[in-house]
This record gives sequence, C-alpha cells and structure tokens, in this order.
Amino acid sequence: MSTDSPDKIIDRSAKLVFSFFISSAGLWLLVAALFAYLAAAKLTDPFFLSTYEFLTYGKIKVSQANAFVYGWGGNAIFAVSIWILARLSQAEVRGSIFLIFAGVIWNLAITFGLLGILDGHMSGHEMLEMPTEVWPAMLISYLIITFLILVIHRSRQIRETIAPQWFILAAILWFPALFLIAWNGMELNPARGTVQTVLSMWYGQSLIWLWLTPVALGAAYYLIPAILGRTIDKYYLAIFGFWCIAALAPWSVVHHLEGGPVPMWIPAIGTVMSIAMVFPIAVASTNFHATAFMDIGKVWDSLPLRFVIFGTLSYTVSSYIGVVFSLPTVAKITQFTIINEFHFNQRVYGFFSMIIFGAVYFALPRITNREIPKGAKSFHFWTSTFGVLLLLLAYLIGGLTHGVLAGQPSLPWSSSVIQSIQPYFLITKFAFVILAFSQLVFVVNVWRVIFPNPISFIESCKKEAGA
Amino acid sequence: MNNLAKFIVGIFLTLGIAWLAFVVGARSQYGDLSPTASVLEDDGTVAEDAELFPIALSGIAQQGAKEYASLGCVTCHTQQVRRVETGFDVERGWGLRPSVPRDYVLQKHVLLGNSRIGPDLANLGLRDYSDEWLHQHIFEPQSLVPSSLCPPSPFLYTEVGEESESLVTITNEEDASDRYIKPTIRADRLVAYLQSLKQDYELPEISFLKSEEEDEVEAVVSVADKSTDAPKWLQDQIDQGKEVYMKAATGGGMCFTCHQVNGEGLVGQFPPLAGSDWVLGSKDRLIKISMYGLMGEIEVNGVKYNNVMAPPGIPPGSLTDEQIANVLTYIRNDWGNSASAVSPEEVATVRASLKGRAPMQMFTAAELSSPVQ
Repeated sequence: MSTDSPDKIIDRSAKLVFSFFISSAGLWLLVAALFAYLAAAKLTDPFFLSTYEFLTYGKIKVSQANAFVYGWGGNAIFAVSIWILARLSQAEVRGSIFLIFAGVIWNLAITFGLLGILDGHMSGHEMLEMPTEVWPAMLISYLIITFLILVIHRSRQIRETIAPQWFILAAILWFPALFLIAWNGMELNPARGTVQTVLSMWYGQSLIWLWLTPVALGAAYYLIPAILGRTIDKYYLAIFGFWCIAALAPWSVVHHLEGGPVPMWIPAIGTVMSIAMVFPIAVASTNFHATAFMDIGKVWDSLPLRFVIFGTLSYTVSSYIGVVFSLPTVAKITQFTIINEFHFNQRVYGFFSMIIFGAVYFALPRITNREIPKGAKSFHFWTSTFGVLLLLLAYLIGGLTHGVLAGQPSLPWSSSVIQSIQPYFLITKFAFVILAFSQLVFVVNVWRVIFPNPISFIESCKKEAGA
Repeated sequence: MNNLAKFIVGIFLTLGIAWLAFVVGARSQYGDLSPTASVLEDDGTVAEDAELFPIALSGIAQQGAKEYASLGCVTCHTQQVRRVETGFDVERGWGLRPSVPRDYVLQKHVLLGNSRIGPDLANLGLRDYSDEWLHQHIFEPQSLVPSSLCPPSPFLYTEVGEESESLVTITNEEDASDRYIKPTIRADRLVAYLQSLKQDYELPEISFLKSEEEDEVEAVVSVADKSTDAPKWLQDQIDQGKEVYMKAATGGGMCFTCHQVNGEGLVGQFPPLAGSDWVLGSKDRLIKISMYGLMGEIEVNGVKYNNVMAPPGIPPGSLTDEQIANVLTYIRNDWGNSASAVSPEEVATVRASLKGRAPMQMFTAAELSSPVQ
C-alpha cells in the first residue's frame, strides 16, 4: 500500500497535532474577525454597543490584535512548523500528547488573557496587554512545544539543513527570548520612564518581524519548490537573506519612535536599519518570484501556491512601503496615523495569514487523505484577496489623508481631520465583513476535512495510533 | 547552519546585540533620570530650595492612570509632543515644548501611545477644561463635540433624577430635555488624572518654544491668574497662595487634589471652596483647619460631607504661618470669592492659642463651632 511511504508515516504521526492546532487557530481567527468587525463598527458609529463597558473600543481593538497574533498566529505557527519540520527532517512527530497538552494551556492562557483585557486588566503596552497572570502559562506551554519541535529537528535523517528549517527554527526560538526580555523589563525588573516604551515598541514590532514573518518565509521556501517541483532560483542567496533579517530586523523596528521623548539615536538607528532591510527583502522576493514566474501557469492552477505567492508578493510590496514610510520626511506625515493599521494588516493578514492558508490547504489533504472542494478554496481565495486589498487600500489612502490633514495646525481636530477619514472607516468595516465571511469559509473548509464526522475521526486516530 | 548549537548561538547573538543596545543601553543612558529644577546652579547642581519637576501625580490621579490604561484610551491617544522637526504637535497647540524622557520618570506605566485618532493628551491639563466639561465628554463625547469618534462611557456614571444630586446636566438640543449625571469614583479618578497631564515646566534640557501660537497659549494661561483690581500686596499674597494650593511637593498644600483646580471640590466627597460659607466665614476656623486638618461630618452650603482632611502640607501640618495666610487669602479671593485677606500675624495668634494641642489631632466640625476657643 502506498501509505507505507515515509511521507505518509510522518503525515499520520502529525495528524492529531496538526488537526488540533489548526482547528484552534481557525476558531481564534473567527474570534479576531468578530472583534475586528466590532471595532470597525464602533469607529463608524461611536454609540454602537457603547453601554457595555467590556465592549468599549479600546478593549475590543486590543483584543483583536492579541487574538489575531497569539491565538491565530501562535496556533498556526505550531501547526505549520511542526508539520514542515517533520517532513524536512523525515522524522515522526513524537510526544503528541504533550504537544496537545501544551496547546490546550496556550489556548486557555490566551482565553483568560483576553477575558482579562475585557474585564479591565489591560496594561496598555503594545502586544503585552494581556494581564501578567497569564504570562507564565504562555511561556511554559510555549517552551514545551519548542522542546518537542527541537526533538523533531534533532532526530532528522539528513544532516544538511535548508532555508525553511532556518527560518522556522529561528522564529520558534526567538519568541521565548523576546517574551522573556519583555517580561523582565516590564515586570520582574521594571524599566523606568520611556525606557518602557522603547522596550514595548521593540517587543511588539519584533514579534511580527521575528516570529510571524520568518515562519511565513520558511513556509514559502518549503511550499514553492515542493509544489512546483523545481529548486529555488538563486538559492545561494537565501542564507544571506536569513542572516540579514536576523541581524537587521531587531534594529529596524524602533523607527516608530521618531520624534518622541527618547534619545534621538534610537529612532535614528531604526531608520538606518529599516533602509538596510531592502537587502533581505530583495533576496526573498528574488528567490520566491524568480522561481514562481518560471512556471506561472502552475502557480495559478494550484490554489495553495496561489495563496503563497499572494503572500510573498504582499511581503515584498509591504516591506518596501515600510522602508519608504520609515524615511524621516515621510514619517513626519504618516507617524501616528491609521497607516499603522495598514502595516499591521498588510503584514499579519496580507502576508502571514495568506501563506498559512496556502500551507494548510497543501498539508491538510495529505494529512487527512481528504480533498477540500476546489470551489470552496477558490471562494476563500477571492474573498480574502478582495477583502484584504480593500482593507489595505482604505487604510493606506485614509492614513495619508489623516497625516496630511493633521499636519495643518489650522484645521480643527475632530470636526475636520477625523471627519475626513471617517469614510475610510466605513470601507474598513465593509472589508472586515467580507474578511470575516472569508475566514468563516476557511474554518468550515478545515473543519470539514478534519471532522467530517467527529466519531469516525476519533476512531481513525485510534486505528492509526495502533498501526 | 547544520550544527544546531552553533545556529542557536548565532540567532541569539543577533537578537542579543540589538537588545543590548536598545534595552540595556537605553536603560543605562537615561534609565535613572530623576526630577530636577528648571534652572540649575552654575556648578550644575540643584539649588536647595528649588522646585523639582516633574512632580508626582496625586493619589487619585495615579488611580486614574490605571483607569486610563484599563479602558484602552492609549489605542487612540498619544501622550507625547514630538520635536518640531519631526512633527506639527507644538504648532497644533498640544504643548509648550517637546516632551523629553525626564517628563515620564515618575510614571509607573508610561503610555506614550502610537496612534492619534484622538488628539494628543500630554498637556490636556493645560487646556483649561473644567472637570464638568471632561465628565460630560467622557460620558458622551458627542454631546460636546458632535463629530467625535470617542466611545461614550456611560458605565462610569449614574444618571440621577434630580439636578441637585448631579454634577453635570446634559441638554438634548432636539427636544431640550435634560439628563442629570453623577460621576462614579472611577470617573473622578480618570478626570483627576486627565487634569494632571501637563508638561508646563522647563527643564535644563528643554525650554518653552516661543512662537506666536505659544505666546497666545501662555497668555491664555496667565490671564486666568490675574484678577485685575487687587492692590499689589494682596495680589502677591494671592499669587503665592495659589502656588501653595497647587503644589504637590515639599512646601505645598496639595489642596487642589481634593478641592480641585476650580475650587469646586467633588460631589459627595470633597466640599467646594468656591462660594463656600466656610471659606467666606470665620478666619479662625479656616486657620485651625489649615494647621490641624478636619474630620467627621460637616455641612457646607447646606450639603453634608463626611470625610477626612489630613493637615495640609508635605509632611502634613508643616505649612508655615505665612503659607497658611497666603493660601487662605487665595481661596477667599478666587473663583468668584471675595473676602478679607488673612495675615501671618493672625495665623500666629491662633497658633499661640492652640499651644499644647497634639500635632495631627484633627478638628471636628462640632469642636470648631463650639463657643469655647
């Protein structure tokens, strides 16, 4: 039987873990979508649900970002990293029960963290808003998962490592380091004054650059050659791209502090390093797109790959835009505007999530032996593409308007500056509805192949565990 | 790349160097800044009697900072005035000068923020909003600024049936109906915090920026201070008294933290000074309260209060005769009050008559109104 091929055995060993993480990721995605809609609706009508304290805008907005990054992002990272590393190591996933145990704790910690935010225990520091009580649970569960991922990697059959492994392993290991640094500087050994701000800005932005981004890049480095059946063009550049990101990204993220009450060298270094980021961006986009465009017909035909290439294109564009917006002359206009939302959504939705969607659509049929209907995937792709482009366009144009008008001191704030960007909030609300719908389709697609029938799923897992 | 240990060392090194620079470096460079005087002595030291900035938040304002964080205000409001070359903040009138790291050293959680759907709040306390205005704005921003996107927070207020119990009356323009709202303690904390947000002092590293707009802002600030027709000696006493009233550091009375900048007090908690029958009445009682504090139930303008007023001053009860005379003269002559000045000699007389009273032994209303003494 063909099920005896090594890949099949590995896929079977990953089935339970992958199914668990990706189905929880899907639920978080829906939670984030709901929060995103509520937040957008509140910006178009401030009286919408305004009598409920736990639904006040500040809490909803923060909950959305946390549910999206830690809930959806975290679970998706675990699922995709475990599967890709197992495949590349040609090693089975071991300790599933511990992985799931840690996963449950991770999800519970985030659940309580979000409830804490809604209940009013928010700290106000970017991406560290969840109450400190849940931080130990997050860190411990994450470390258990990290350990088991390292076990997979250590038991690899081929000693040589390749680009996807570097990116994914580095991301997996960077997160706890960042988290510990933030924890130390915020709680254990609190920094005074605006050193706190430097730290929280550094942490919040690094989370995106050193955790979400490398996993998505690693997945793209794996999926593009795997689906196209050809090697990465100019692969020798990949190692340069990797170390550039490792060396430059942690420096570049602080340029957002430009002009603020911190020593001037901090944002200045951030700006210089942001400009230097063109090198790793160019490497990744050359690798991906030179390879993909040799066989563009095949890219179009394969839905997983279409998602991935959308993501890599989005990465290239958003990163270059990021470089331009970090230039002091431009930053003077765009700083503190809703361009921030553009960056966040571009990176987390347009890039990271799209690649994860592709990876999931590629992996799931292999793991479960069930096909996802092409129409359903295609519907998901088009609604996502349309929704995300609409969202980004609204935030981009809205953000520029915001910045230009805010820069004219004679214009009154609410009645002129904010009033002028209100139509864009209406568009984002509409875009979030489309995206929520699209994400619902994704979750249904995933859940339908994982749990076509809950009882038979458990039976099949038992049988396969016995085999 | 094939050796896992070397790989791990490599990726942590790249992260570690950036951490060293931004976190450790920034911390050692300016992590131990402390309050200082606006102007240093020639040898770079702080004069002994100089007033230090920034000043610490009052207790109620610190609690307000927690409410501010918990409600997520920081998602839409920054608290930083950018340097002129990187932003328009000073031109917009959001501050007298750019913010500097030292402004934030006394804050437990620094909430600079990085998004401005609402205006910057670093100097909200300088914009002369009354507490009532802020309360109404928090309750329902759109009743004051129709185009505001700020979410209303009715959950911080209770609506009461009668105007007399409320602090703020909101009139609906369409049908001219009135709503009466009363702040909860959380709303009071939040407003106290918002009113405390001001970077209205110069530091050795930064001075006020002088531009046309600036002069106007300062003019607005100082116009409020000056009542025009008082003789010079009285005006001096009022000015110095105001300083004692507003100061929350050594030598100050911290009066405003409870009785508020506008002298209105807080409904149900701290009695008003503006128009108060106590303030405009017997000097003797006022002097005694200023030395020893007051506790228990009292009735001010027909409204009963029951609270504790510690002896004013830092440390409590430390105000000198002159400071007491000045601050009493001030509260008797601001916010529409007009009554005779209190002289240091009068204070000295009362102090002599109370010789033998234990320090910190607070008065009660009954004791003050009894004919003995």
